[in-house]
Amino acid sequence: MINVNGEQSEWSRGKTVRDVIKEKNYLFPLLIARINGKLIPRDKYDSTVIPDEATVDIIHLMSGG
Amino acid sequence: MADREMITIEIDDKPVSVGKDSTILEAAREIDIYIPALCNSELVEPYAACRLCIVEVDDGRKKILVTSCNYPVRKPIKVYTSSEKVLRNRKIILEMMLSRWPGVQVIKDLAKHAGIQKPRYQHPAVDLNPNACILCGLCMRICEQGIWENIINFTNRGAVRAVRMPYDSDQPHCIGCGACAEICPTGAITMVDDPNHPHDADMVRRAGMRITEEMIRFDEEQCDMRGVGTAHLVEIMDAYDLLPVMNYQYGKHEDTPKISSDVLRKFFTKGKPDGCWLGCTMACAKAIEDFELKTGPYKGEKVLVDGPEYETLGGSSNMGIFDPRFVIEYNFYCDTYGLDTISFSTGLSFVMECYETGILDKEKTGGLEIPFGAKDAALELLHQIGRGEGFGLIAGKGIRYMKKYFVENFGADPDFVTDIGMEAKGMEYSEYVTKESLAQQGGYGIALKGAQHDEAWLIFMDMVNKQIPTFEDKAEALHYFPMWRTWFGLCGLCKLPWNDVEPANNAETDEPAKVPGHVQGYCEFFEGVTGKPQTMDSLIRMSEKVYTFQRVFNLKMGFGKREHDVIPYRSAGPVTVTEYESRQERYDTQLRVDVGIDPSGMSSEEKVAAMRKYREAQYEQLLDAVYKRRGWTNDGVPTVEKLEELGIDFPDVIELVRKHGG
Ligand code: SF4
Ligand code: SF4
Ligand code: FES
Repeated sequence: MINVNGEQSEWSRGKTVRDVIKEKNYLFPLLIARINGKLIPRDKYDSTVIPDEATVDIIHLMSGG
Repeated sequence: MADREMITIEIDDKPVSVGKDSTILEAAREIDIYIPALCNSELVEPYAACRLCIVEVDDGRKKILVTSCNYPVRKPIKVYTSSEKVLRNRKIILEMMLSRWPGVQVIKDLAKHAGIQKPRYQHPAVDLNPNACILCGLCMRICEQGIWENIINFTNRGAVRAVRMPYDSDQPHCIGCGACAEICPTGAITMVDDPNHPHDADMVRRAGMRITEEMIRFDEEQCDMRGVGTAHLVEIMDAYDLLPVMNYQYGKHEDTPKISSDVLRKFFTKGKPDGCWLGCTMACAKAIEDFELKTGPYKGEKVLVDGPEYETLGGSSNMGIFDPRFVIEYNFYCDTYGLDTISFSTGLSFVMECYETGILDKEKTGGLEIPFGAKDAALELLHQIGRGEGFGLIAGKGIRYMKKYFVENFGADPDFVTDIGMEAKGMEYSEYVTKESLAQQGGYGIALKGAQHDEAWLIFMDMVNKQIPTFEDKAEALHYFPMWRTWFGLCGLCKLPWNDVEPANNAETDEPAKVPGHVQGYCEFFEGVTGKPQTMDSLIRMSEKVYTFQRVFNLKMGFGKREHDVIPYRSAGPVTVTEYESRQERYDTQLRVDVGIDPSGMSSEEKVAAMRKYREAQYEQLLDAVYKRRGWTNDGVPTVEKLEELGIDFPDVIELVRKHGG
């Protein structure tokens, strides 16, 4: 199990940051991803694998009127 | 996003791997090898005008000289940036340039670096001006490719070639963004439009140029504001269950793709900066030309429509209408009649729900059948409002008026219309579902002008990121963001460039939600105009004075206390059983986890009631926390100490707040 934005979520081997974003349907473009507090740059979402038991924060910024 | 194919090349015997089709110049910069490149900028496409960036390429078969700024890497090659041939040719080019523009500093520097003290000949078209134009073409490229304008270009050929506006005239279409002047390597372009005599115009422009650069580099992959404006939020809000559907009962709908930004993109015909704010390169306002109207006084005519933007689209889903042509038409007529699309659509969503629940019928509406989704009836009612006749005379006065009217004249249940009539302080809600974000319920409810999200939009922070879990956290956010956003109002600025594009390093800052890089830009902007240096805290302080004073003003006008910060329950939770059951799993879990009661065995009515009790209490606790943070009494009145601290303790103000226990 991993913790994504405060909620328990399934973990599987090889799961990347991009997989979590897809699974959660996080469509918003201005995201900041952190794994156990460590910042993951946007161009590494595909290649960064999440370890089991990790705390993942997918921070949504704000936009719009 | 598929990873790009990587190719390894050698530059001056050093290997470097770059994505296919990167230029040699980009590859060299990766490994800090310097190549002079006068007409190049990463903000525009290469143009290969100056030819200073030449290098020698060995592809295994032959050695050739190429311009590195536009030579794409497609196979493993060897590159030499300082071979004898390169240096000799570069020197010839520089000598020619120096002979033509001997006063221009960048050219003097490059020539000196190449070992030229003085050219050996005089150029027939020599120009001694230190700010001469060296024909690099950067300005016209940034104007066309970066700003999406096409104001300046080269005229003439040969020795008289020059950069000009068409017909040498002042171009009214130039938005004055200053990007051309900023990118010019010689200072040949200067901006002369300083009618307000700012303290330091350059400081103002540099702050603006940073936003322009971000727009050019990142907008397309970030919010695509220049492509579709705020319309991009439609599908996003739907994905997060935040798009109002059928008077805020639900947050998504299967027909949302019919009014998504992709659909609107096909209608938008004006993809240019629109002059809504002179010099703004965010250019989010979109327009549709030659739109043929189906109804109303201009029926059959082709018109230009300014919009639609997100709220107008969300207003349509709120009425249960998913037809882009309807959205464009109601957008046009709201503008034409001088109506706000938010108040109109939220008001009509209320009318429609009243119709569906039997509070209204055909007789009461003067013959209009108007359930959710009734687009013809919605347009007819819009025209009635515009003409000030029929049921339009009632609906046009807004939800607060309608609630009272329906109770007094149609026997409506006052509690029910209070629950579903989405207004606060008499102003209609804008188009976000707030049920799952307590902080945003406060954002609407406490907002001084009524139910608007422009003081604070905290739904993602609160509901998705779970960044502000405690009442104190929420109160802090409901202090900082309203104060910050009020500052834009104080200065007459638009807030979109603050957070609808973000700096490259924003994620690495301490508080990305505040976009510190941009706040810094606004400090510079303020200082550039007034000459007074600012910090993030001083801007907030400025705002806090005005904000608190506005609350006092509300108080004076009879709107500034706790009782006025109430919200309709629809914005805090499910009013009806149908609403509850549509998200049953979510609410049942919350009852179990957050409220601490076991929902199994409870009827839906009981669950609605239990949830309501909990959420209403939460809202009251939120008010307590926010008032405390703001230095207000528990009744929402600014205290005398706060007024003194802010320096707005004028005698009549003190007298007023004292009267209300402040
Ligand atoms: S100020 Fe902006 S719009 Fe005007 S010519 Fe320069 S780049 Fe183009
Ligand atoms: S005006 Fe400046 S930017 Fe434009 S072509 Fe001349 S030197 Fe280049
Ligand atoms: S930088 Fe390559 S030709 Fe000018």
